[in-house]
Amino acid sequence: MTAGWLSRLVSRRGGERGELDRRVIDKLAAWKSLPAGRLDLPAFDARYVVVNTEASGLDLERDRLLAVGALAIESGVISPQQAWYATLQHAPEAALADLLTFIGNSPVVVFNAPFNRRMLLRAFDETVGFEPDLFWLDLYYLLPALFPERRRDPVRLADWMESFDIETFQRHHGLGDGWAIAQLFLTVQARATGRGAATARGLGDVEHAYREFRRKS
Amino acid sequence: MAQNATDLLVGASTDFLQHFSPFNGMEPEALAYLARHAVLAFHPRGSELLTPAMGEPRHLFIVQRGKILARQTGPTAVTEYTAITLGPGECFPIGAISAHRPSTNAYVAVDDSFCFQIGADEFHELVRMSPVFHRFCTQYIATLLNQSRQQLQASFSQRAAEQQTMTTPLGQLIGKEAAWVTPDTSTRAALEMMNERHVGSMVVADDDRRPIGILTRSDLLPRIVLPGFDLTRPIAEVMTANPHQLPASASAYDAALAMATHGISHLLVVDNDDRLRGIVSERDLFSLQRTSLRQIRAGIDSAQDIATLQRASGDIRQLALNLIAQGVGAEQLTQFISALNDALTRRVIALALEHHELYGIDFAWFAFGSEGRHEQTLSTDQDNGIVWQCPELRDAEPIRIRLIDFAREVNEGLAACGFPLCKGNIMASNPELCLTLEQWKNRFAAWINEPDPQALLNASIFFDFRVLHGNERLGHQLRRSLNKMTRANPNFLRLMASNALKAPPPLGRIRDFVLEEDGTIDLKKSGARLFVDAARIFALRIGIESSSTVERLRQSVSKSGVSADEVAAMVDGFHFIQMLRLRSQHLESEDGTTRDNRIDPDTLNELDRRILKEAFRQARKLQLRLKLDYQL
Repeated sequence: MTAGWLSRLVSRRGGERGELDRRVIDKLAAWKSLPAGRLDLPAFDARYVVVNTEASGLDLERDRLLAVGALAIESGVISPQQAWYATLQHAPEAALADLLTFIGNSPVVVFNAPFNRRMLLRAFDETVGFEPDLFWLDLYYLLPALFPERRRDPVRLADWMESFDIETFQRHHGLGDGWAIAQLFLTVQARATGRGAATARGLGDVEHAYREFRRKS
Repeated sequence: MAQNATDLLVGASTDFLQHFSPFNGMEPEALAYLARHAVLAFHPRGSELLTPAMGEPRHLFIVQRGKILARQTGPTAVTEYTAITLGPGECFPIGAISAHRPSTNAYVAVDDSFCFQIGADEFHELVRMSPVFHRFCTQYIATLLNQSRQQLQASFSQRAAEQQTMTTPLGQLIGKEAAWVTPDTSTRAALEMMNERHVGSMVVADDDRRPIGILTRSDLLPRIVLPGFDLTRPIAEVMTANPHQLPASASAYDAALAMATHGISHLLVVDNDDRLRGIVSERDLFSLQRTSLRQIRAGIDSAQDIATLQRASGDIRQLALNLIAQGVGAEQLTQFISALNDALTRRVIALALEHHELYGIDFAWFAFGSEGRHEQTLSTDQDNGIVWQCPELRDAEPIRIRLIDFAREVNEGLAACGFPLCKGNIMASNPELCLTLEQWKNRFAAWINEPDPQALLNASIFFDFRVLHGNERLGHQLRRSLNKMTRANPNFLRLMASNALKAPPPLGRIRDFVLEEDGTIDLKKSGARLFVDAARIFALRIGIESSSTVERLRQSVSKSGVSADEVAAMVDGFHFIQMLRLRSQHLESEDGTTRDNRIDPDTLNELDRRILKEAFRQARKLQLRLKLDYQL
């Protein structure tokens, strides 16, 4: 199956944009061969990757992905050594293959999944020819689900940053906002631990239940 | 790509850290190292970051946002606070992580908090690479050590907490306002006032209340009644002029020491403008104490025979034990013992001089060793000698024989008063130690020029000389000449340093302490001596006049590269070891056995053990300094 995907990738992309670099192909193949990530690990054993996009605007149809920032959260801490950032103007294939390598099989944490996820997946599809299968968690819903005493409804990132008194070194920057989102995710982990839901699957269930609840009401 | 992202986050952490001390003053490489290794974690309100039960801390925490409460746990309070709150920029647990031991505090987030953390290894690396951070931690630990010592003294005192301690400021001790009159007041009016007010003393002060004299009840008989003094004449004519006075901020200890030193029973307490605040009497200071300081002092000064001095010597010992129980620090305590022992020795000398015709002989009595350093503990044998100058055109030998005869009587008198004769015969009656100034200089020069092991040993005893009686100038001259000789012979100091380094602090890699075969630590040989030896070398190199270890260390601050904070920590370490020595001698004297400065660390409580370890670390730092200075 991998072979089929690769040959399709190479042949389809080959004519339009030139062949993918060998190293990019190797990276994509290595990522594809990873075992499925575990979703049942407690926070102190787990690795999550916060991914945040920087686009030319908020219109999914017209605007394009400019840059991506990503931060890994391992054992409940944010480490500067575990951070990634790239713009997509030059060699977007290499950048996205790199991003996938950085993410590995960890669950992905975003703020406002519909936008971030669509932007990212479309970029993957357009540059490397497939949409990676990832486990997504969306703080847009998780935060009000876990901190109803602060906000009952989903609100903007800036509101949550204000609520937790979180600052960042550069707003509207892929990594700058990503750093704030990562800090918010730490608070989510801590709160969920108190509820016995501190695994990726547990968080996914909380998010799902909250969205169901909102749809019905 | 990842490097770029890391740089952005490191930059963000650096910007944050630069708002706070000590990070804002830190070397750029060290700050970069810290920012690169600092990871951020979240601690929700109510969660524990660190408790004593967690064992050796694995991280140093730096609060980024929120509030962390540090609270004392366990039966022994170590610091003076029971709980403090730490905010952004503050870090913990410096003491515990430095010492590789569990924290004594529990750290709990009182607000939702974010903290940076670095691993213990990274902390130690940071201390190694950053002198600024190192100094910050040293200072912190020194404060902790100081607080611990105060705590220790408090717990050692068996008396209730409300009892006055020797550290109480005099301002708090003085009660009702002192009675005072102007110098032109008639003596009768002054005495009537004393009688009405039921006071034992009358202060004479100028119109601005600045004391100029005092008249006490004990002066009445000799100065007024017996001479038939005319009571209409002004009090200025019978008062004691220039009375001793101390500022209100001075401690009870200072007052007691002044009373002992000057042999007086009343002290005036003045404010910052030298205006009279009140009177402190000996009774105020030692109302609860059986043995009174001045009684001892008066007993010594008026003693007409050795038997009386023997009793005084026993009293000194008893007083020292009381003072230990009252929580007087080791430095003050040893000064105290030293002051009284000096008085005792001077009296023994004075009594001996009555039987020996030494008029016209220019000489001085030297104290060597711990006595020379003002560091006597309760069981010290005598180390003394004589320096003298032979008058021109006179034969030296007959004079020396007279001095030795005199010295023998002093040595025997001191032995009778509880200062055992020196086993090594380091006594003034030894002809080898009753030398002229020139002979002493030559002897010192010989040791310095040919520093064999015996010479180095001699240097460690005799270079700590101090004049106890006689012509002080002889001591100054010898000190100046000694400092000049050692500075001209750096190789001698280098050998002394190498000799000092032969006794490492008894700190173990696996166990806390390295023990002697009998399971004890020799607090003198492996503890106090390490500080004393290093301080002596600093003093000789820099040319410090003082013979006291603490003074030598303190004076070396301004003159060598050691910082004041580091020295304060070293001095604290030295004092703690001295305190343990005094305390173990105290216990010895109660059960009648002598253990010769040995202590079994297993018999110490956890707190003592911890501080002792800290003290030995300070000794190690001193030795490291020597190693660096002399490339050993």
